[in-house]
Amino acid sequence: MKKLCGQQVASRDGRGRPSLHWCFFLLLAVVLFPTASHAYAGPGAGFAVLSSFWAIFVAFLYSFYALMTWPFRQLFRFIRRRNAYGKATFERAVILGFDGMDPELADRFMNEGRLPNLSKLRDKGTFSKLRTTFPAISPVAWSTFMTGVNPGKHNIYDFLARDTSNYLPFLSSAEIKGPKRHIKIGKYSIPFGKTEIKAMRKGTPFWHWLGNAGIFSSVIRVPVTFPPEKFQGVLLSGMCVPDLKGSQGTFCLCTTRASNDKFREGGVRVPIERKNGVCRSYIPGPDSPLAEKAGTELRVAFEIRPEPGSKSARIVVGSEKFTLKVGEYSEWVPAEFKAGMGFTAHGICRFYLKELSPEVEVYVTPVNIDPGHPDLPISHPVTYSIYLAKLFGPYATLGLAEDTWALNEHVLDDDAFLAQAYGNHEDRERMLFDALEKTKQGLCTCVFDTTDRVQHMFWRYLEEDHPAARDVPHSQHPKVIQDLYERMDRLIGRVMEKIDDDTLLMIISDHGFKSFARCMNVNAWLHQNGYLALKDGKTESGDWFEDVDWSRTRAYTMGLNGLYLNIKGREKQGIVDPAEADALKDELQKGLNGLIDPASGAVGITGVFIADNVYRGPYTENSPDLIVGYGAGYRASWDSVLGKVTGQVFEDNTKAWSGDHCIDPRLVPGVLFSSHKFIEEKPAIVDVAPTILKLFGLALPAHFDGKPWTLAAKAH
Amino acid sequence: MFDLSLLTSPLAIVIVVSLVVGMLMVVLFGYTSDQKAIGIAKDQLKAHLLAVRLYRDQIPVVMGSYGKILRGTGRYLKLAFKPLLYVIIPITLLMVQIDRYLGATPIPPGAPFLLTVHLAGASSGQAAGRDAPNDVTLDLPPEIAITAAPVHVPTENEIVWRLVGSKEGKYEVRIAAAGQSAAKAVCIGSDLPRISTVRWRGHFWERMFSSAEPALPENSPIESISINYPNRNIEIAGYGMNWIWLFFILSMIAGFIFKELLGIQI
Repeated sequence: MKKLCGQQVASRDGRGRPSLHWCFFLLLAVVLFPTASHAYAGPGAGFAVLSSFWAIFVAFLYSFYALMTWPFRQLFRFIRRRNAYGKATFERAVILGFDGMDPELADRFMNEGRLPNLSKLRDKGTFSKLRTTFPAISPVAWSTFMTGVNPGKHNIYDFLARDTSNYLPFLSSAEIKGPKRHIKIGKYSIPFGKTEIKAMRKGTPFWHWLGNAGIFSSVIRVPVTFPPEKFQGVLLSGMCVPDLKGSQGTFCLCTTRASNDKFREGGVRVPIERKNGVCRSYIPGPDSPLAEKAGTELRVAFEIRPEPGSKSARIVVGSEKFTLKVGEYSEWVPAEFKAGMGFTAHGICRFYLKELSPEVEVYVTPVNIDPGHPDLPISHPVTYSIYLAKLFGPYATLGLAEDTWALNEHVLDDDAFLAQAYGNHEDRERMLFDALEKTKQGLCTCVFDTTDRVQHMFWRYLEEDHPAARDVPHSQHPKVIQDLYERMDRLIGRVMEKIDDDTLLMIISDHGFKSFARCMNVNAWLHQNGYLALKDGKTESGDWFEDVDWSRTRAYTMGLNGLYLNIKGREKQGIVDPAEADALKDELQKGLNGLIDPASGAVGITGVFIADNVYRGPYTENSPDLIVGYGAGYRASWDSVLGKVTGQVFEDNTKAWSGDHCIDPRLVPGVLFSSHKFIEEKPAIVDVAPTILKLFGLALPAHFDGKPWTLAAKAH
Repeated sequence: MFDLSLLTSPLAIVIVVSLVVGMLMVVLFGYTSDQKAIGIAKDQLKAHLLAVRLYRDQIPVVMGSYGKILRGTGRYLKLAFKPLLYVIIPITLLMVQIDRYLGATPIPPGAPFLLTVHLAGASSGQAAGRDAPNDVTLDLPPEIAITAAPVHVPTENEIVWRLVGSKEGKYEVRIAAAGQSAAKAVCIGSDLPRISTVRWRGHFWERMFSSAEPALPENSPIESISINYPNRNIEIAGYGMNWIWLFFILSMIAGFIFKELLGIQI
């Protein structure tokens, strides 16, 4: 035993080590005061705290940067642009495009009291027909809208243009080429370099002029804005954005039904293998960028596990698992197509469970470019599409996102198509309202495609005896188009609530709509009248002039309205002497103009327009030689569009695609509504760009074809 | 030749524990959280960050986005709260136990160390007060010796002995005060024994986090008995650090890797 003796020393803490106490309090702090703690509680708490702190930290840095530099940037802008809004009549212009909104239908529904908000605009501001372009096709008209010039200056004459070297079509708006160089490593051929995306649309969109003057623009889903161009503002590309396969939309029908039938266009059939109650199939994707052999398709496999006793199935796609009932769509599902060596194409698609018994059928939408991980630029800046995806979730990016082909091919029924179309529409509404909130000054423009697609597919129910709806009694026709206009009116009403008198609201459409009850194969007429010759022994030709004898052909059509001469020195096998071209054009014009449909006695073609009289500008050489203006109720036949020559000139259109606008442009003007009154007798879509520039006090470029409208008066 | 003892070194243990804990915690977080809601909350935070960049010339938008980031952070932390509760309890208990092995090194043979006895306050025991040191005695095993006279710190009610161990092993020293006796384990050596730096009377939470011995009796005149074991530093690239920091870094890295591999939102 040892005794203690009294000796005083400074105390020290020998009761355990402080670090664990500290650790515990940090853990508690993570739970109770999370924003104040940043230490460890393992990965869970650590990530949570670090993530949130990171967000705040980055935001703070950005904010600090923005605040500190804002005066200098404003000063810089002031000096460079001399007070952008100084001469502006309005602080903001909001242009809502409703593709295909028809002035006659709008007028009719307004008179029936169904469109109160459009009626308010009509009464307070402007309601007028808006002259469209030649031809009245969306990519043409919207290109004119944004550039303020005729097609001869922006180079878009149709969805498709023709290659004079082989008479085959190509997409008129953009050209996508893979990397030129490849390095071969074993079985792989590795692309070296960047994918080239070349814009075919020429001319300068008016928001570029605004941006140069320091005026910010938010541009959402305006057609023919792919590839996106740099300017001061944000832009999400619209019509003409391809799907991940590079097409304008290829759906997939996965089915246990054996069939060798191919879809005419827009879709592929994929077999489902059923084994032990589990169904396996795949989503076809883009070609592998690494495969030596072109056309080696990448695929994403998926499983369908029907749930016994219920009309639903569990679907497993990669790490995604979800349950679908029959007749129900999934959310957007990521589809990653892995080529190997780290090459992955990122897409998104939706599944629609069509049937589980006795057969299993699943419809898969075209695989859209993933907006949160875009493999091709679909917005300016690139981060804008990511921003929207983070804010609202994945959304359709495909230019023609509403799958009209699937409805035409009876893969989707009316309800499934409408659910898809309005689903996409709601996403765009959210984008619009976000843009309105963010763009308090400048330009905010958004184009809604729903109006066009729904009218294309449901016009058959507007008429008593449309060939595509003869199996449904007229009294049972759903009021789809009426409902469409009412929905758009409600949207306009909500927009009107968000704007004040210092905002100009314009509602426009690129063209109107008419019935498409009868098809006309102009190639057949050309054949019957000796302008187009078939190979010996042939009475018809397959797609893309397969059986046409070019050595004896003077004229042909492809696409929706273009008629081309087979001119020597221009077309590869041209035979028409350029000196005789004008005479031939006159001859064709006289022959086709006023062509009567023998079945009904109605005029099938109300106007044939010689391109030289309609277009002017540096790109007129790419235009068709003549524009065929079909009469109301008529359009180029499905076969004629694809360069096919049939025996009959006229036939019924029995497809769901039953309304159209690719006719005589004089018959399908668009609409113009505005919150403030314009004094203009015959406004045209080409006038929108100069009008907006003028309202913002900018000088008009000399090459503009449009003329600015005069504002009657401003309320204050 | 690979030295197998490296596998049982503190560094190896921390690495293995960090990897396993990192994975388990991510999995636990994944199962106990609303993954969809967390994904949405994180996406929205990113969106508001992007908005600050996209609309940087528009101060109202920037400020509004900043406010949304703060609100979004709150929403995110709220969603992380429940899974964090699940994660914190097992991980805290685990860390406490690991700390018993890795937090301190045993006393090397021949190295002096301090044994501190903290007596209860005057009302708690007879040993308190001016004569306390003479009432407290220390009973040592033969392998441990006193190297200096004990020191009494009246203001702290503490008595401190300086001791030295002569041989590796786990020993028990006994302290007698006011007619009662209490034991305290002492580790002499160099390997990885389970070390208790302090033995407490009461003090449930402190005992939970810093002691590996049972509580002293409630009527004991001794409040605590502690030994100043040296802190254990783990050497990495010539830099010594406490295992907890290493565990933090490695488990975070492991968590990042496993969250990606397992597709779990954190």
